Amino acid sequence: MYDLIIFLTLMALGYIFGRIAEARHFKSIMDREKQYQHILTFSERFPPSGVSRVNSELVGGNVVISVDYFKRIVAGLRGIVGGQLTSYESLLERARREAILRMKETAKNMGANMVVNVKLETASISKGKKQQVGSVEVYAYGTALIPKTP
Amino acid sequence: MEYENRTVPEGINVSKENPLKDFFILAFGLGAAVVTLVVVLSFLAGCLVQFVPFETEVMLTEKFSFSEFMESEMHEEKQNEQQKAQQLEEEKKQQKITAYLQNLANQLATAQQLPEGMFITTHYIDTDTVNAFATLGGNIIIFRGLIEKLPNENALAMVMAHEIAHIKHRDPMVAAGRGLTVALALASLTGFGDGQVAQQLLNNVGLITTLSFNRNQEEKADAEALNTLLEYYGHAKGAEVLFEILENEQAGSTPPLFLSTHPLNENRINTIKHYHQQQSPQNELTALPELF
Amino acid sequence: MLVSNIEIIPGKKITKHLGMVQGNTVRTKHAGRDLMAGLKNIFGGELVGYTELLQEAREEATERMVSQAEAIGANAVINVRYSTSSVTAGAAELFAYGTAVILD
Repeated sequence: MYDLIIFLTLMALGYIFGRIAEARHFKSIMDREKQYQHILTFSERFPPSGVSRVNSELVGGNVVISVDYFKRIVAGLRGIVGGQLTSYESLLERARREAILRMKETAKNMGANMVVNVKLETASISKGKKQQVGSVEVYAYGTALIPKTP
Repeated sequence: MEYENRTVPEGINVSKENPLKDFFILAFGLGAAVVTLVVVLSFLAGCLVQFVPFETEVMLTEKFSFSEFMESEMHEEKQNEQQKAQQLEEEKKQQKITAYLQNLANQLATAQQLPEGMFITTHYIDTDTVNAFATLGGNIIIFRGLIEKLPNENALAMVMAHEIAHIKHRDPMVAAGRGLTVALALASLTGFGDGQVAQQLLNNVGLITTLSFNRNQEEKADAEALNTLLEYYGHAKGAEVLFEILENEQAGSTPPLFLSTHPLNENRINTIKHYHQQQSPQNELTALPELF
Repeated sequence: MLVSNIEIIPGKKITKHLGMVQGNTVRTKHAGRDLMAGLKNIFGGELVGYTELLQEAREEATERMVSQAEAIGANAVINVRYSTSSVTAGAAELFAYGTAVILD
């Protein structure tokens, strides 16, 4: 009986606080994306032709976001029936956009205005077996082009 | 060549569906599927058990010594004390008690009209546990702790008749078969992947469903036992004493009905009292022999 | 919509670069596929169920990337890269990203 009560409480906590955190994070992401709009990112390997008076630096940004209890339960239940795991999709979207923003921030601090050859890596830190907390890490990296000051 | 970054619209990689709705559909859908599966498997187990003959059950259990299993610790204590004369007397007393219980069991079995080939073997365990149960092979185990609490033979006969009824209905075999198939089915469904908590959840749902089958079995055994008492003594007085004692023991800590393996004590007492109203009230109770 | 993993498309000229577009999806198997996979663990061989599952997921991720590109007015996605990772036991994330461009 107590197991059930504990379980429901954890789920409710996970859901409420998870949703609040997610909404806040997404809002912050959208604001900052407007802010960093002028730092261009491309996944192409070659910088624009004709550009030569630039320094290039490898820049990267990473973030680790943890899974909340509610998402874990839904994932466990889905694992029996199969299909799309929408609870994790929002988590990964947040993580990716945050990682790219952090990379842009690093680039901006160096004085760059463009990042080329952007690549992303996703990894799962301790997938959440046996009561461990599951979390996802996303790392975004690319080459920043910094105009040389004359 | 122009280079620019255009803003991508929201909502392509993230679905707008409410996660709570998703969760409820999943949970209730899976819960209903598990309940159906367990009910179907339980019925199958109940039907198929008729094909396992009683002789097989006896064969499985005859090599197993109940008293040795239960009292292995008690025997060690007695050796340390080295009071062999006292131990001999204890053993004689135990044999007399077992003989008395076996005799009572045989008479009640005849009154209950056990099918051909079925027989009861009673085992008396000398510990304080307040319990009695029936298991495979027609074996009934009764503990000293329970008998000490009973005021007369009628209450003891109620306990005995109830356990004999379980054996008559082949309940131990059905419970074993059902437990096995349900556990296997649930494990193969949920056993893989990260679903630790989901696994426990669905296992609990399956368990709660099987409990209602258990309660059904207990009610049937109660009814059969009352009829047996009537047959043997001519009346069923004294039967509700057992449940009144159990109710006192458990005072304040009873789980809700849907989590119990047995019907509520209150309900069982009321059933018996209702039964009494249909009999004559002027009957005598039989006392227990002085062995206890 | 042209989707390619090279930069310089033969015979075409890129007039505008519109930035990165991404598509991802997280898919999980169901109990049936898992049972078969468990058996294959003993006998060895290709897990056809999982192969199909991941292929479907990859197609969906690519489709989402293409919808993002269409939404911003591109007509091609170049330099496409794919990435697969396992985010929780039994579930895989398929991620596709590239640069949206306008070709003439």
